[in-house]
Amino acid sequence: MPDIFITLYDVFMRTYEGFLKAALITIELTAIAVVIGTAFGIVFALMKISRSKILQTIANLYITLIRGTPLIVQIMFLYYGITSIIVLSNFWAGAIALGVHNGAYIAEIFRGAIQGIDRGQREASLALGMNRSQTMRRIIFPQALRRAIPPLGNQFIITLKDSSLVYVIGVSELFGLANRESASSFQPFETFLVVGFYYLVLVLIFSALLKWYENKLDVDKA
Amino acid sequence: MLKGVNIHKSFGDLEVLKGIDIDVNAGEVIVLVGVSGSGKSTLLRCLNFLEIINEGEISIDDRKVDRKKDDLSNVRAEVGMVFQHFNLFPHKTVLENIIEAPIIVKKMNKEEAIKEALLILEEVDLADKAHVYPNKLSGGQKQRVAIARALAMKPKALLFDEPTSALDPELVGEVLQVMKKLANDGMTMVVVTHEMKFAKEVADRIIMLDEGRIIENATPEQFFNHSTNERTRQFLEMVDV
Repeated sequence: MPDIFITLYDVFMRTYEGFLKAALITIELTAIAVVIGTAFGIVFALMKISRSKILQTIANLYITLIRGTPLIVQIMFLYYGITSIIVLSNFWAGAIALGVHNGAYIAEIFRGAIQGIDRGQREASLALGMNRSQTMRRIIFPQALRRAIPPLGNQFIITLKDSSLVYVIGVSELFGLANRESASSFQPFETFLVVGFYYLVLVLIFSALLKWYENKLDVDKA
Repeated sequence: MLKGVNIHKSFGDLEVLKGIDIDVNAGEVIVLVGVSGSGKSTLLRCLNFLEIINEGEISIDDRKVDRKKDDLSNVRAEVGMVFQHFNLFPHKTVLENIIEAPIIVKKMNKEEAIKEALLILEEVDLADKAHVYPNKLSGGQKQRVAIARALAMKPKALLFDEPTSALDPELVGEVLQVMKKLANDGMTMVVVTHEMKFAKEVADRIIMLDEGRIIENATPEQFFNHSTNERTRQFLEMVDV
């Protein structure tokens, strides 16, 4: 067998225990970021389509600031910003930064999905005597959510991969560990190949879950 | 019962309704006709406050609606609407479409709402479709569900906005039949339609709009056979009677 495979195998066997733990941290970071991001996304999407100019402006400001600056800057800013006020672990600072960052993109996904629902749906609901908030909660949003699932899935995959950036504030997730491992072992090529493999597996698992869920929704509706 | 006085409605610079007076008596069936762009759909939508009029007033049962103070949801709950494109809720079954507003708006309990919905479905001949989703229905079936959904709110009047225009020709009959039955049962109806045969047979009055004004308000007999209005005669020559 060529040498490269033997060293890869060695690196893999030596590191897998650490990487599995780190993968768990990556998954936790992603999960928290997805929850925060979705909550932010829904709230800011509703603000953006609201009739209040003030709410619209706040939402636009948030989306512009987040989309206009690099995630790594936001992570650093939030970590040093927040931890100067309250005590927060680097894990939570990273998870919150990821969540707030994703919220801006998710807000745009929801806004598009809500505005993409046929006007007649809103009219039919209003004509039945439902008010604006009932119409949004019971008629528009459930349909928009279905429509938003494919782009949301994409965004969640981006979140998973972007979580690697929180290594800059010292979180020992997959990339942070790989970084240290490569420096101490002097095997950067093998180490980053291995960590890339872990990310790929996570993304594939998540994509499969998403596909399954989309199919289930289609089947439910049919 | 449903009354509009001096209704004006503009979209931007375009004045669509230029002072309409309309008075719908309880149990009456009024058919609104006119060429496209004459304002008949807009008038219908104004009567249900889907469009807010710029001038004039609308009253239901002699109660003037104050569009600033009154909760328009309550007003809309009293006047049902059936749309050209059905606008059924695709994420809900036929039954769920029908019980939605009674439960959410009228706070009816679910068992009762279902019981009533099934009775209404029977009347529109769709009892067997209660648990299917709208995408499994034909256009005619969809429109009958939409009618059932509006009926479930026990409205004082029903407005129909070109209810058969989006249907394949062979499906028009089943919808008109349901509407005829409603008319015979005494439902107050205002119908925008191009179905002149329906207008002739079912309408108590025919109102013709032209460029945002009412130019004819007559019984079908007068309208079809004795109209002296130039525009009406042109219109009748254009449509199949």
